[in-house]
Amino acid sequence: MNVSNDYRCLPVLVFLLGAINLPLMAEDWNRWRGPNGTGMSNETQWTSHWAEAGPPIAWTAEVGIGFSSCVIQGNQMLTIGHANQTDTVVCLDVKDGHSIWKFDYPAPLDDRDFEGGPTSTPTIDDGSVYVLSRVGELYRLDLASGALQWKTPVAEDAQVRLPGWGCSAAPLIAGDRVVLNLGESGVVVDKQDGTLIWKSNDKESGYATPVLIHGPDQTTAVFASSRAYIGVDFDSGKQLWRERWLTSFGCNAADPIVHDGKMFLSSGYNRGAALFEFVDGQPKEVWKNKEMQNQLHSSMLYDGHLYGIDGNMEYEPRLRCMDWSTGNVIWSIDDLHPGGLAMAGGRLLVLTDTGELVIAPATPQGFKELTRGRVLEGKCWTSPVLSGGRVYCRSVAGQVACIDLRQ
Amino acid sequence: MSLDRRHFLSSTAAASTLLAAPAIHAASKTKQYRTALIGTGWWGMNILREALAAGQTKVVALCDVDSDRLEIAAEEVQDICGDQPRTYGDFRELFEKESVEIAIIATPDHWHALNALAAIEAGAHLFIEKPTGHTIGESQAILRASRDAGRTVQVGLHRRLGPHHVSGMKFLKEGHAGDIGRVQMYVHSRGGKEEPTKNSPPPENLNWEMYCGPAPLRPFNRRIHPGGFRHYLDFANGTLGDWGVHWLDQMLWWSGQQSPRSVYSTGGRYVQGEPVLNATEQTSDAPDCQIATYQFESFDAVWEHRKFGGAGPEKSSVGCYFYGSKGTFHMGWRDGWTFYPDDSNQSVVHQDSQLQEPDGHNLKLLWADFLQAIESGKRPAADIEIGHQATTLSLLGMLSLKLGRSVEWDASRERIIDDDEANALLVRDYRAPWIYPKISS
Repeated sequence: MNVSNDYRCLPVLVFLLGAINLPLMAEDWNRWRGPNGTGMSNETQWTSHWAEAGPPIAWTAEVGIGFSSCVIQGNQMLTIGHANQTDTVVCLDVKDGHSIWKFDYPAPLDDRDFEGGPTSTPTIDDGSVYVLSRVGELYRLDLASGALQWKTPVAEDAQVRLPGWGCSAAPLIAGDRVVLNLGESGVVVDKQDGTLIWKSNDKESGYATPVLIHGPDQTTAVFASSRAYIGVDFDSGKQLWRERWLTSFGCNAADPIVHDGKMFLSSGYNRGAALFEFVDGQPKEVWKNKEMQNQLHSSMLYDGHLYGIDGNMEYEPRLRCMDWSTGNVIWSIDDLHPGGLAMAGGRLLVLTDTGELVIAPATPQGFKELTRGRVLEGKCWTSPVLSGGRVYCRSVAGQVACIDLRQ
Repeated sequence: MSLDRRHFLSSTAAASTLLAAPAIHAASKTKQYRTALIGTGWWGMNILREALAAGQTKVVALCDVDSDRLEIAAEEVQDICGDQPRTYGDFRELFEKESVEIAIIATPDHWHALNALAAIEAGAHLFIEKPTGHTIGESQAILRASRDAGRTVQVGLHRRLGPHHVSGMKFLKEGHAGDIGRVQMYVHSRGGKEEPTKNSPPPENLNWEMYCGPAPLRPFNRRIHPGGFRHYLDFANGTLGDWGVHWLDQMLWWSGQQSPRSVYSTGGRYVQGEPVLNATEQTSDAPDCQIATYQFESFDAVWEHRKFGGAGPEKSSVGCYFYGSKGTFHMGWRDGWTFYPDDSNQSVVHQDSQLQEPDGHNLKLLWADFLQAIESGKRPAADIEIGHQATTLSLLGMLSLKLGRSVEWDASRERIIDDDEANALLVRDYRAPWIYPKISS
């Protein structure tokens, strides 16, 4: 290679590298799986190291029983918890955890075979917060004050039944619409007033959050139903394709991962995973195996590899790295006991099911812990969230711990 | 099961070596039993996995009224062992078309008798889940039919062989707790009022008519299936008909299979609220708390469950206390057993549990014992008579609760003494075309 020839390219290269490596400060995490819906934050300016004494826990707060994850905008952090037949949307100050506002709505604990409480995550959009309760009611709150703007019994309006364990998908905002995983293949309402735009058949939904695929002519919304993943025309709600996907409890809970004209699906209960390629608008199987079974948590796709929790949560699940294009397992960690998983700036953040936070680079080279420390007590099955250099971890019993990893 | 399964996982690695199935006679190792599973839900598949792990099972058929379940179960069987079982939505068709040597029955309780009798008639040995009947008459019918046909029946009372149960019983029977005057069996959990859930048309994959079978046809509700039948008295008998059978059996085991003279039960739905069942919505209807007192010749045995309040100051939320003249013995689940001497100068004696996780059972031992019983012709550890006795006690508790008064039990005749109203509850009406089993005499 001729050095003098390369010289002319240097300014371009520097510019490109600069753009890629530009340290990302405080990225809001306004919805489930983050602003890009990938489950990954781009933030790089946070530290994986802490003193001998343990992780720097800035504050803790009690938010009530539940599995709802955290969302963050500016200085506000929101999640949902349950106590005394009431779900409460809590809004805390990210700096010290003090309560900015609370919003209560009546809700059963509904602890069928688990601890119960809310299972969906709120969505922040354009100064409002959207909350879907387990019994299929949609609330819109003012982000600044928590005041109710409107509510609608959307499952009842759409005349669709609830799935066995209630609604757990996060509301997805797309343009002027709220997209909900309800019915066989979704329900869409107007985000201004909650009026119904379209609905699907009265059959059970699954538990994953809808994902949009933007094509040249058409946008497809993918919904996890209890028995299939179904692609529908986002404008009309008309079903375009269906990939049969059975599990023991109708439990399709992991969001589809769509990338480069392909779609990854995964469920627990011996279902496994598959990669599909879209050919003439229809999914065509590329590979299928049982090596990545995402029972509750969605995997993340980073640099050609999937990172996810394989196996049913009560059966000693494994943290795994899988090759996206082949489905081959690259590595598998059997003794980590992951309860939740996040990624930021190429680093994995694992919350173990007993409340330890473990950080390691996301690389097919292996899982090499950078640091580990206790942040919570008791069972933790909710994905941690990193935003603005702070990590928010939540236990089932309802303790939220904010770990300050800002540099 | 909402009780914490994770807590005791650390002990499983050590336990698994101890739980290795006892060696089965070498010559018969090659014998592959043509096996069918009726009821392919969570627990049915747990049993079938153990059967497959024992290495003498060829799965020929699966049966379920939920076609999705059936398909998923068949796929798992193929994943585990390569067998491609045929699938059926109706057990009658299964037994007509298949030659079955072992039938595993893991349907909801209201189906147990009809499934079991069909299997016995087809010549199969039975592994049947507890309780052995939804009413006492059904359980009697299975006992008699299996004896008449000379079939081996193992009831799913895996606690009969669980290592800490075995060692705990030895401890008790050797008199280390002294003379026992009272046994207290209990399960407590937490909860509150139950709001009604909307009915809906049954899912397209579910044959709801067949699910209800001999029980009344009620509107479908997502709380019932999958996995909720125990809380509906048409299909099961609540907590006493579930957990109660296990702990009553522990008490009976200790007592040498004695029979109570009288049974009295109270309870209700004081916290969950009155049951609701109408065209648009329903709640469950099993009691949220219940006490059943069994009076024996030389001791009282008391069952108690609560679905609210939690464990309170108790260390455990499930188990069985034996109160004796030397102290209190607690037979637990994941917490093993513990003896608390009444003399505080003596030290507490404890033994850890050795269970298969994550569901905390000892099915591996129970299945191995079942195979040995079939081969030897001897009675298995949780023989039908044992299962029938424990089931009968739980159902007598439910019967007294429904009557609102105590009943005097004639164990030799298996009748309630001088009480036609109570005796009428030993059986139930079946929904046509199903016919209540005849008890051969």
